[in-house]
Amino acid sequence: MLVARGDSPKYPFTKDAKEYIDQCNVSVEELATIEYAQIIDRAEQRIEEALINGSVRYESSLPDVEVLSFPVAIILVASIGDDFLKRRYALAEAIRAENLLKDENNDKLMRIIESYFSWRIKKVSIAQNQPYEYCLSFIDYIKNASVFHEDEWKLVNKMVIGGYVFLRKNDVARLAREEIQKYIQETVEKTPKLDLPKLLNQRIERINQILTKRKESFKMDELPKTAIIAAYPPCIKKLYDSLLIGQHISHIGRFSLTSFLLAIGINTEDLLKMYTSISDFSESLTRYQIEHIAGKKGAGTSYKPPNCSTLRTHGLCLKPDELCKGIRHPLTYYRRKIGKIGMTKDE
Amino acid sequence: MSTDVMAFIRRKFLEYYSENSEKIPMPTSLPNREFGFVIFRERMMVRHKGFINGAEVKAFLKSMTPMDAYYSSAYYERPEEHMENKGWLGADLIFDIDSDHLQTPCKSEHDYWICESCQNSGRGQQPELCRKCGGSKFKNEAWLCETCLEAAKAETQKLLSFLQEDFGFLPQDIEICFSGHRGYHVHVENEDVRQLDQVARKEIVDYVLGTGLKVEFHGLMEVGKSKIVEGPNLFDPSWNGRIAKGVYDFLKTSTPQQIEEIEGIKSNKSKKAMEHRDLILKSWNKKARWGALKDVSFRTWVKLAEYGLKKQTSFIDTVVTTDIHRLIRAPFTLHGKTGLKAVSISLEHLKQFDPFVEAIAFSKGTLKVNVNESHKFRLGNEVFGPYRQETIELPMAAAMYLLCKKAASPVE
Ligand SMILES: [Zn+2]
Ligand SMILES: [Zn+2]
Repeated sequence: MLVARGDSPKYPFTKDAKEYIDQCNVSVEELATIEYAQIIDRAEQRIEEALINGSVRYESSLPDVEVLSFPVAIILVASIGDDFLKRRYALAEAIRAENLLKDENNDKLMRIIESYFSWRIKKVSIAQNQPYEYCLSFIDYIKNASVFHEDEWKLVNKMVIGGYVFLRKNDVARLAREEIQKYIQETVEKTPKLDLPKLLNQRIERINQILTKRKESFKMDELPKTAIIAAYPPCIKKLYDSLLIGQHISHIGRFSLTSFLLAIGINTEDLLKMYTSISDFSESLTRYQIEHIAGKKGAGTSYKPPNCSTLRTHGLCLKPDELCKGIRHPLTYYRRKIGKIGMTKDE
Repeated sequence: MSTDVMAFIRRKFLEYYSENSEKIPMPTSLPNREFGFVIFRERMMVRHKGFINGAEVKAFLKSMTPMDAYYSSAYYERPEEHMENKGWLGADLIFDIDSDHLQTPCKSEHDYWICESCQNSGRGQQPELCRKCGGSKFKNEAWLCETCLEAAKAETQKLLSFLQEDFGFLPQDIEICFSGHRGYHVHVENEDVRQLDQVARKEIVDYVLGTGLKVEFHGLMEVGKSKIVEGPNLFDPSWNGRIAKGVYDFLKTSTPQQIEEIEGIKSNKSKKAMEHRDLILKSWNKKARWGALKDVSFRTWVKLAEYGLKKQTSFIDTVVTTDIHRLIRAPFTLHGKTGLKAVSISLEHLKQFDPFVEAIAFSKGTLKVNVNESHKFRLGNEVFGPYRQETIELPMAAAMYLLCKKAASPVE
């Protein structure tokens, strides 16, 4: 057997690691043989850790096993084919890498990032009492950080000079996690479902059991079937009131309101009645717009209501109240408010 | 507008395109762009047009003679298909600064609205409901205004500082355009921005508008046990410097009353800040010593900073920049509401750019028109009007402007 070198056991998704994995050239049939039992064990463990702990450990004692178990785990996840599992696994592996990256020295971190990502990143000389170690192209930054919700990650709260965002080491590791997660998720999606040797079935069965348990604890509460106006967040309430008294609503405002009302379970016909009761709405155009947002027309994808941050960008977030604090989506507000005012489906 | 007036305008537009179409620059990757036109007869937008090359576009402009011409900021595999099947490949980063959205004092003089159901009309901001008939649909019109266009230009200049100093875009990546009517567009075209999705573009919008900005991330803080206030300096880069400049400019130009109007500032605090104003202004040119004034509290500084930074933002349209399928007016085509042309302007020239001279498309001849009503306006180096129910011979550009604004008709 070849020996895995350097950082491959830590970062099994890098080019070096891939080359090593290719050289080992193990076939799916061989996997079921006793020789590879250790690798299969570790692969199963990786998935289990992902499901139960949300992150995968770094097991340094058997470097070869640590590298080879990664592609095997991907084959197993792809074969089970469950979306929740795919997301969860990709995230857990990415968190594993993030934690390892944080402990690398600056030069090493740079080397790994440059060789694996196509990011434009530079080291910042530690001078003048400033806290930054790196600067990253703002394009690479927003591609990865725009999904974060904390204030400190918003571009507007960063030092941005000449196209570069100034960052600390932990920030870079956190951003790398996003890129790694995307990469692993894509890899899983691309991996075909294989006919696995029978001996592996038992293992898959076990993973499936854990998966079912985990999924149950993640189930979302269902929303009541009728709309509860008292639970609308302030932004939606304002748009709704404007609609009722026939005030002009901007295109983006109308989109936000419509997609929100559809998402809380108002059907297309009722919504249409509401809109056309206001004289100047043309029925056919309104129907087209509603059905487009609902996903019946056009591409067939339904549109989700915009999140709080988007509503803020377009100036639709007016007078947020106490409950708005710490909430990122108007639907979350709706759900929580219903919980608070104690209304149920039957009311 | 009567069909005669429309036909006249269209004839003049045809003349322009016949004489100038060779000079109209074509966008890069032209076969991948969607084109859209407002056609005179139907006054409707025709979208999803695609062209192989510039010659085809120019031939179209001459044969169809549209009222307005646009192309997409986006690149598509199949620009002629419906949106779902176009195959989006990427989009330039675009910004729109429209003086309609700026708070200028002259709005009430030149903006007017017409109720669509009863034709009742008035100046300034449209009411929520028509006071005569209760209708809620209005048409908005506005005259060209120097003050408003100057304000839009100032916003554009602030935007350019964000684009160059903060985002590091090179002059060759940036194109500035006067729209031919009420504002400016800025296009950023390079490989890096093409692939940005809406969420990433939203981050750029929020940066430029200061949306979600928290001053504590820009160096304004209390330090140590004695809680000395420290803050950014005037010449710091990025938002740090803008925050310092925002406070500095505000103190420099405000009255104590204006300071008190800021929510959360008590009058004794504002007096303290004002008492020391000269000291602050003088010393800050070297180093901003926020903590030097012990009786101005941290909270007051935060309020001042949050207020002051608003003037440092650039007031861009949030929807245009985050829309990755947007159609934008093609430079050097005519604007149907003014008869002026959209013109692109070099970065160095923006400061001196005079839309009332440089956007003139019809510089030859005169035309006798019956003017219904017109405000006073300047075109070229001449000032016209105000006019009311009169017949007058005007230089062609001025006449075309009034025709396009539906304020006049040609005399036979
Ligand atoms: Zn009316
Ligand atoms: Zn004005």
